[in-house]
Amino acid sequence: MEKTLLLTKSNLRKNRGTSIGLFFLMMISSCLIGVSLLIFLDCYPIAKKEAERLNAGDGYFMIGKDIDGFSNDKIMEMIGNDTDRIYTYHTLLYENASLPFGNGDVALYLTIDNRSAFTKPMNVFEVIDEDASIQENYVYLPYQFCTGGGFNIGDTYGFEILGEKYSFKIKGFTNVAYGGCNNMSWFSLVVDDKSYENIWNRDHDAAEGIIIVFDLKENVKSGSFLIKTRNEMLKVNSNSSINGFGLDHVISTRTFMALILAISILVLTALIVAAAAMMLANCISNYIKENMKTLGALKAIGYTGKNIKASLFLWFFVLSGIASVLGIVLSYGLMPVFSKIIVGQMGIPYSLKLNIPAILIPIAFVVLFTIFMTALSSKKISSIQPIVALREGVEAHNFRKNHIRLDKTGLSLNVSLAMKTFFGNMKQNVITFIVTGFMVFICIIALLMYENFSKHLKMELFSTEVFAGNITVDVDSKDDMKEYLEKREDVKDARQILNQFIYYNDEETFDTYIFEDITKMRNKDVCYNGRLPENDNEVVVSGKFAGDYGFEIGDEIALNFGDSAYTYLITGFIQTTNNNGREAILTTAAAAHIMEIDRMPGWFWFDLIEESEDISENKAETEKIIEECKERFGDKILGSLNFFEITEGSSTTFKSIGSLMLVMMGIISAIVIALILFLLIKSLVYHKRKDYGIYKALGYTSGNLMLQTALSFMPAIFVSTVVFSVASYFGANPYISIFMSSFGIMKCNFVIPIAGVVIIFICFTVVSFLIALFETRRIRKIEAYNMLVAE
Amino acid sequence: MKNIIETKKLCKSFSNGGVQQHVLKNIDLEIYEGDFTIIMGASGAGKSTLLYSLSGMDKPTLGSVSFNGTEITKMNTDELAIFRRGNCGFVFQQIYLVESMSIFDNLLAAGLLVNKDKKALAEKAGKLLCAVNIPENLWDKFPTQISGGEAQRVGIARALINDPSLVFADEPTGALNSHTGKAVLDVLTDFNNRGQSIVMVTHDIVSARRGNRVLYVKDGEIAGECILGKYVSGDKDRHRKLSDFLVSMGW
Repeated sequence: MEKTLLLTKSNLRKNRGTSIGLFFLMMISSCLIGVSLLIFLDCYPIAKKEAERLNAGDGYFMIGKDIDGFSNDKIMEMIGNDTDRIYTYHTLLYENASLPFGNGDVALYLTIDNRSAFTKPMNVFEVIDEDASIQENYVYLPYQFCTGGGFNIGDTYGFEILGEKYSFKIKGFTNVAYGGCNNMSWFSLVVDDKSYENIWNRDHDAAEGIIIVFDLKENVKSGSFLIKTRNEMLKVNSNSSINGFGLDHVISTRTFMALILAISILVLTALIVAAAAMMLANCISNYIKENMKTLGALKAIGYTGKNIKASLFLWFFVLSGIASVLGIVLSYGLMPVFSKIIVGQMGIPYSLKLNIPAILIPIAFVVLFTIFMTALSSKKISSIQPIVALREGVEAHNFRKNHIRLDKTGLSLNVSLAMKTFFGNMKQNVITFIVTGFMVFICIIALLMYENFSKHLKMELFSTEVFAGNITVDVDSKDDMKEYLEKREDVKDARQILNQFIYYNDEETFDTYIFEDITKMRNKDVCYNGRLPENDNEVVVSGKFAGDYGFEIGDEIALNFGDSAYTYLITGFIQTTNNNGREAILTTAAAAHIMEIDRMPGWFWFDLIEESEDISENKAETEKIIEECKERFGDKILGSLNFFEITEGSSTTFKSIGSLMLVMMGIISAIVIALILFLLIKSLVYHKRKDYGIYKALGYTSGNLMLQTALSFMPAIFVSTVVFSVASYFGANPYISIFMSSFGIMKCNFVIPIAGVVIIFICFTVVSFLIALFETRRIRKIEAYNMLVAE
Repeated sequence: MKNIIETKKLCKSFSNGGVQQHVLKNIDLEIYEGDFTIIMGASGAGKSTLLYSLSGMDKPTLGSVSFNGTEITKMNTDELAIFRRGNCGFVFQQIYLVESMSIFDNLLAAGLLVNKDKKALAEKAGKLLCAVNIPENLWDKFPTQISGGEAQRVGIARALINDPSLVFADEPTGALNSHTGKAVLDVLTDFNNRGQSIVMVTHDIVSARRGNRVLYVKDGEIAGECILGKYVSGDKDRHRKLSDFLVSMGW
């Protein structure tokens, strides 16, 4: 053991630079794994714990539009047998309300309560922060308005509902299990009692709603209970609008974006770990080469291959152990940045706590992986013969090809000599090529996230159908509205699409899009496998659902709505992240088998004849159409939605993720490339120190040699950047699809801007060259005279 | 006779564990054009240190070195490198060819620093390699593929590629056997006869015999000087004169 310790100490002392370089790579890997695990392991449990603390029960029902028939006794009669606990309260419930949020508006369910919300026995509201001095005309907003919506206490918050404009002072923010996050399409506001009374008096006829929060009995399954109860409720009053979700669904929806962030970081970390592994193997190989004489001497005096390898294991064990622990510390240091985004997504207060698995897993992974790579790379040591090692393993003849003849080449002297170094170091080139390529890939994925999440939110991946606006009219005005929209010159593809929940086996709920004319569907790419339904016996279901239940294209599936059921043929799969990846598409004719379409209101979705690059122009154009419809049809209009407006509001929470990923991955790539070049150049300078001494004696300046060395890395960097830029351009979407499939996106078609790829290409080439030039500064220290006297 | 190098009070000290070692002490010296100057002395006397201080490869602690009237002791490392390109040629005991380059490219890598005309330079390199008896079939070989004697002759050709004012040779035969060593000395003598100024460090009397002027370094000072005149092969008096000088120096 003493021998091993002695050798380890000597290795650490002699290889300080290498140790530092590897240390930072290991630390970055451990830090990123730590961050992604902290997010991954923290979000869902924290959201669940908070929900339990706020007495959220196992789920809720929301009854709106028409609540006749839903007395407390009736509700108890319907669900009393399946539940342990029920809490029912009346509220002001607005469907499709438009609320200012972030840079735009969000369209969702809005409930308004008075201060009694803070003392409810279930689904209690908790004040997170407030200004006690604000005593009248105030509103408490869900915490997400503060973390993701850009509002502060004391700000004025205004919105329009049922034609009435309201303006409140923000008194505080609330933590609430249901109605606290835009991802679940429901915001709950609490206003002062006087304001509540005013709104109640004005709106209760049109907007009185019921919220039922329940705790299920142990043996009752949430999915089938929700479907069964909803069907029974519709029997009580078919005009009611009924929504019901289980707590798990709500939490999944709230934590969905945070999990995407965690997975994205993990996916990119995998590439950094691969680069680190490659460098580790290279460093051990260099160590053997550089210390061949010492190894021979050690073997000659009786050290065994095992002794020497043990010292390497100890060296890298200590290094990886310390690096991974510090990486974890760093990950905790960085978590406030990430937690800000997570909280912005979830709208749940998040306090960083010690998470033992998130600490132990990265440490164990980095250490064990390092040991594994050390074992793999140090195999050669056992077979080294002392006498060969003492001769530094130099072969008598080394036949090489002269790739660049100085008298024949048209290149300048510095470039010619750089190319000679390039051709003489193929191992270095391969490592540079792969590592640079990985980093290019990482940056292009980060660019993709920025482009599609931050700059131009790719709604096609998050919404089954995209459109400019939609208008809902009563059943009698459907034909008139259709004719009116079709005649308008500024409207394109006015189409009737009904959105309804239908069920599979009383356990799964599909958010179903029912198209009158499927050929007018704009987001046809949502069907990534098979084809869209054309006939009245066909359906398209989400790929995630099909995967979970083992359905294939061509299989039959029985779907039901209320008491009616029909068996459909699956013609294709769609990708969706909504409703936990449970969505379906039917034609109106197909849906008519299980529901009375003719008796339902008309939902008209339309596009603009010409869409501008400027979202605000599109927003204004759509608003103009909606307003003119309202003027013409008056109270026949039941609702409307400006898609561009809600895109701006909804995208607020996505934007921070895209920007963070771009900045973070840009910085990490630069650091990793700097570290890799540091290790490679350090090794190169060490191996070529004699040559540099000779060159200096001949009259080459340090500047000449630094330039030549830096240039010698450029072909590998340049080719790698080109190859991986092209490969990433075509391969990033399939790569992301692998990881996004668990969220329901099976075939990504994110936009990758070519200009961005070109910028990344230029940045990588220039920055890598500058880093390489900087790293070669150690050549300045080499003096010809030292080389001469050292021999 | 015109001097190429002139030193004034040249001193070189090293610090070893906090103890100052004065290797060169106040040396005033001139090296003349066309001479084959030999620097001799016991091991550790400071002869290599003197050679490299004269050539600008090493910086003296005190004093000055003027090379063709230009004081090189005031130059920084890069200025010295640029200065060496056209003024100095070096032949080392360990030869020091760049192993990753062919023999021909070893010459061109030095020559292209001064002469950008590749065609003319390649012609000159070929002539030099012929002059040092390196057959053309070896020109594309790498240094590890030729013998030590051949490599040292390539080293000499490389030292001469830029027509330097002075060639500095540090024990050029030290790592060679007597036969190949003689061939190397013949080449150096031949170039000296054609007017090339050479300063050579050696501790070998046979090599020293080739010079026309022998300086003896002892305890960091020039202890004595012996003028031998132009080298003539088989001149026994020359040998005796040199031997007597060295004996008088305590060699």
